[in-house]
Amino acid sequence: MDTNPEIIKEFLIDCYENLDRLDSELVALEQDPGNASRLASAFRTAHTIKGAAGFLAFGKLEKITHVGENLLSKMRDGKLVLNQDVTNGLLRMIDAVREIAEYVEAHGCEPSTDYGAVVTLLRTLDEETSAPPPAQAEATPAVDAPVAVAAPPTPVPAPVAVAQVAEVPPLDHLFVADPADAGRSDADSPNNKKQAVSDTALRVDVDLLDKLMTLVGELVLARNQILQLTSEQADSGLASATQRLNLVTSDLQEGVMKTRMQPIGNIWSKFPRVVRDVATQCGKQVRIEMEGKETDLDKTIIEAIKDPLTHIVRNAVDHGVEDPAIRTQRGKAAEGVLRLRAFHEGGQINIEIADDGAGIDPEKIRATAVRRGVITQEQAARMSDHEAIRLVFAPGFSTAETVTNISGRGVGMDVVKTNIEKIGGQVDIQSRVGEGTTLKIKIPLTLAIIPALIITSADGARYAIPQVNLLELVRLEAEAAASAIERIKGAQFYRLRGNLLPLVHLHRALELQSYQGEGDHAINIVVLKADNRQFGLVVDRINDTEEIVVKPLGKQLKGVSVFAGATIMGDGTVALILDVLGLAQRSSVLGESRTRNQADQALETAGADTAKQTLLLFRAGSHERLAIPLSQVARLEEFPAEMVERSGGLDVVQYRNDILPLVAMWGDRSDRTGTSRQAIVFDHKDAHVALVVDQIIDIVNETVVVQKKLARRGVLGSAVIQQKVTELVDVSEVLAAADRQMTGQAA
Amino acid sequence: MKALVVDDSRVMRMLLSQMLKEVGFSDVAQAQHGREGLTHLTGNPDVQLALVDWNMPEMSGIEMVEAVRKESSLNATKLMMVTTESELSQVERALTLGANEYVMKPFTKDVITDKLRLLGFNL
Repeated sequence: MDTNPEIIKEFLIDCYENLDRLDSELVALEQDPGNASRLASAFRTAHTIKGAAGFLAFGKLEKITHVGENLLSKMRDGKLVLNQDVTNGLLRMIDAVREIAEYVEAHGCEPSTDYGAVVTLLRTLDEETSAPPPAQAEATPAVDAPVAVAAPPTPVPAPVAVAQVAEVPPLDHLFVADPADAGRSDADSPNNKKQAVSDTALRVDVDLLDKLMTLVGELVLARNQILQLTSEQADSGLASATQRLNLVTSDLQEGVMKTRMQPIGNIWSKFPRVVRDVATQCGKQVRIEMEGKETDLDKTIIEAIKDPLTHIVRNAVDHGVEDPAIRTQRGKAAEGVLRLRAFHEGGQINIEIADDGAGIDPEKIRATAVRRGVITQEQAARMSDHEAIRLVFAPGFSTAETVTNISGRGVGMDVVKTNIEKIGGQVDIQSRVGEGTTLKIKIPLTLAIIPALIITSADGARYAIPQVNLLELVRLEAEAAASAIERIKGAQFYRLRGNLLPLVHLHRALELQSYQGEGDHAINIVVLKADNRQFGLVVDRINDTEEIVVKPLGKQLKGVSVFAGATIMGDGTVALILDVLGLAQRSSVLGESRTRNQADQALETAGADTAKQTLLLFRAGSHERLAIPLSQVARLEEFPAEMVERSGGLDVVQYRNDILPLVAMWGDRSDRTGTSRQAIVFDHKDAHVALVVDQIIDIVNETVVVQKKLARRGVLGSAVIQQKVTELVDVSEVLAAADRQMTGQAA
Repeated sequence: MKALVVDDSRVMRMLLSQMLKEVGFSDVAQAQHGREGLTHLTGNPDVQLALVDWNMPEMSGIEMVEAVRKESSLNATKLMMVTTESELSQVERALTLGANEYVMKPFTKDVITDKLRLLGFNL
């Protein structure tokens, strides 16, 4: 018979589902090897694949599933007890079948690979563990009895193929609809007999659903336009018709959105197998628990979070849960528990992945981060434990002391974070040493229609800001604005409830022309959150919140990181949707916590002379002990001698695409031919200046009382620090000296 | 000519329906387990042939055969068991309970045509 490609497609969809189910069934059976209904169900699943494979002339598939089925049938009949070897064998069978199915999907035929090894392995297992050879498996007269009685397999729906779309739980009920009901409807409609009894549910092509979603989006736009137009009219008939249109559109939107929803259990179903494999490989014992499998998510989102979630799960087993021996030693159960939880909250989906493992030690993280140059020593000291733990999301950060082949796949937690943020989600991590680690993910329900704040920039154009990023709105009247906004090194900050909020002017960030001068009118600040940091976006006008339909940007604009998409407004004009994270990065208010901290500290030190200060102690030239407030230091560097070049009577190094002058304030005792030069780098006039020192001594946190008696060049005065007289450096003079040297060079 | 395919695998239902259509059945309905099959047959006594799978949830093939044969209105309906070699030993039981014929999968169009002719279908 000619095989219809449609049937092959169905077969493959079915096959993948069956394999996933077989995966979870086997893992469950390992815990409970005698569970008759699970065994029957696993057998039936293998049997189903085999049957169809035979018809479709997939010989290899048929052969492999056939030996697997034999094994399963023996277990079902109690002639063989499942042990780890058998499970491993069967899992290998599943992998082989999956591989073949994927090949068939791509090439339309079976691969030429030889799967003899798997077949032999399964046969050996079969023969080893049971007296009668496999050929006699048929001599089992009572075979159907347990099967027949076996209730529908666990909570999983009957193997009735349900495609991606049709996997919504209520469908099971439709499929297994009340038979009486099905009979009646059939009898009632004789013309309808051709309709299969089971076809009360439909499979729908995802493309079609996508198209419907787009159309609903358009409808929402049209509705918004009509709402806007009728709001200006007084006709009551029109008003009530509009109201109706409004309601129906909302219902329709919700309905279409539901068709795209899938339970998160669809991706979770793979995890028991993943956990088992990883645990076996690392010699650990881990049990997986799931809560909220039925939580629905948009299909696009389900796909987007699949890989990040898998990575997190692998990570948790590989790095999170300790070896059984260590666990027992620490008084925990030898078996670790990985708990997955999903639930709706505040219009978002929350997913939590918690392990009861060793937890993350913030001290270790700090040390590693400093060693890898992700942060400086001083930043590490300032960080809260939570901030430190969040460093695992920093690019290129990996805390595992040995990179295993399980998690060390070149995909770090930074990729997980990026992927989740790409779909408008957020990820956070909490951990307690000895108690475990919990990852919390928040993602939007859908990406297609989102609530947004509409704002106007200084040039009159409107932009949409996704509501998820929005924290609050602040309006400052002209006089207040003048005093409340602080300028630190060219950047503007607004002190919001004691915290300095970096400000970004939208028209400047987007390089639009500004019509009015600043400072003489009221300021609207949209407080936004990106990457767990806050910043204020200064906009001209705040319009309204609105449900907007997200339209992707054209290819040409894909590279523009400040825009996430576009939408059509009620009046028919197009508004761009701001990508808050991209905007923050572009305006460098993120990832540059130094800027903020520094500014913060500069203000603090200016305000309180006698307050405790963090000081950097060093030795330079004739001065044995010098101190500089750490807050004024951009970074500490060590330059190898060969990097130092001589230019116009000045020592310079090439530093971050710039030329960095090395100032030797008090003479330079360090050996010019020596291996390296230590330097303290300052930010100065949008560039850097380096002060050459002989040796960095220490970093201390002390209350300093300055005595101005001993003032010398470049020194403010002296103080007693750590019971020793220490001279405080006048940074402004160092910078002035640098300027003199530079201009001297120019002249 | 009307037929019914009873199988819990959607793919099998599609395959068998296609085959039955190719050999000359104009109207092939599908049911996903024995109970559904039974309901369909009682509502449609003019269905002449039912292909019945063995292992199904809700109601197995053999239970369905037993139940169909208790309905006098369905005396004329031919029941053909679709089996695999591992169920061969039970075919006898199915035949005793009232199945008319069996066919072992995978089978070709020729094989099933032959078997259907034996049952008196004019193909």
